[in-house]
Amino acid sequence: MAARDLPQQNTIVVGQSPRMQAVLDFVALVGPGQGTVLITGESGTGKELVANAIHQRSPRRDQPFVPVSCALFSDSLIESELFGHERGAFTGAVQGRPGRFERARGGTIFLDDIDDVPIGMQVKLLRALQNRTVERLGGTEAISIDVRVIAGTKRDLRALVRQGTFREDLYYRLNVLPVDLPPLRERREDIPELAAHFFRRFFGRRHREAPPVSDGVMRALLAYDWPGNVRELENVCERAAEMSTCDRVAIGCLAASVLFADAHATPLPAGVAVISAPPAAAAPEAAGFRGETPTPAVPIDLPARLREVERELIAWALSESGHNKSRAAKLLGVKRSTLGDRMNRCGFPPRTPSPEPQA
Amino acid sequence: MLARRSAEAVLDRLRPFLQAEGGNIEVVDVDGQDIYVRMSGNCAACPQAKMTLHFGLEAALRVEMPGVRVVRVS
Repeated sequence: MAARDLPQQNTIVVGQSPRMQAVLDFVALVGPGQGTVLITGESGTGKELVANAIHQRSPRRDQPFVPVSCALFSDSLIESELFGHERGAFTGAVQGRPGRFERARGGTIFLDDIDDVPIGMQVKLLRALQNRTVERLGGTEAISIDVRVIAGTKRDLRALVRQGTFREDLYYRLNVLPVDLPPLRERREDIPELAAHFFRRFFGRRHREAPPVSDGVMRALLAYDWPGNVRELENVCERAAEMSTCDRVAIGCLAASVLFADAHATPLPAGVAVISAPPAAAAPEAAGFRGETPTPAVPIDLPARLREVERELIAWALSESGHNKSRAAKLLGVKRSTLGDRMNRCGFPPRTPSPEPQA
Repeated sequence: MLARRSAEAVLDRLRPFLQAEGGNIEVVDVDGQDIYVRMSGNCAACPQAKMTLHFGLEAALRVEMPGVRVVRVS
């Protein structure tokens, strides 16, 4: 019941977590429609998988699903890749070629990394989406296309609009049905099921049943931060399946990158307060009662608080290094010159002896 | 001394996973750039653990101490 199985093996969306269930509900709701979908999410969260799931839910499921990463093509190539070109449109174009939009006719096109479309191309894309026609490069004829559009990005398009690198009108055109995929670290409860799913696949490839996973492995998988999200977990599981020679998946089968994550970060001594919450605003018993509006928190001065933290950390590094600034800078992971600047900003007294009073 | 402390710090983070597994890894001696470690319990018996932990530890330590060598004993 956890996985809502779709036809092919690698198009299964797995996840019991409330956020993933919400995504699956969204897919079930908008899949059958025609609306343009905008999928956001970090790298490796499964944007293409979700796009495909939407396609599979739609009446277009027997027509092509054409995924294309807009990051793959140079500024000059992307137009011909998406819209196609006619014979002789440019040097080397010895034959006419349909673009991805034409090849997706009747089906769905998934434009991943939409933020990588150069600004000059964005206006052409907008026109194609609005008129539902494309014009091949070097062609004169508008070819009508019946294609459902799904766009994907790992960046915040609104921020790009504010910076002026993404057209606002195109953003609104795409942002009809937005869905955000959670990073794996925000749905850790799905890790055991995802891992089991990948182990079944990769041990199956070796014609083996997936053996039990040791407690240590599960703890390590749950503790890791997964910057590469589900794709990284998939790779770790593949490696483990290839490594495993005994009747279980043991800690030694895991990738060192998972086990030794952040190994170079020097742990802070207990004495250093990294950050503390602002003091409670009201008497706790008053705020604790149900229905009672809690007194609003007292505002803090963020720059001042951050300087405080900075000062503590610099003091820690200086004392650890015996006031050797080069070593302190290394401990903090900053350049020696940066440390100097920051010390001045935080009001550390210069350690050079003060000049002799003039006689 | 720094070598020993860094090695212990790295291993401390690993230890919960290893102990859940019925194994352990400990620093037995430090001689200059050479760190001597011993694997015990299930980890001592597992060829994969020897490789993953040995090279993983060495790679993790090299970030702060270039030239460090992890030597495995028994």
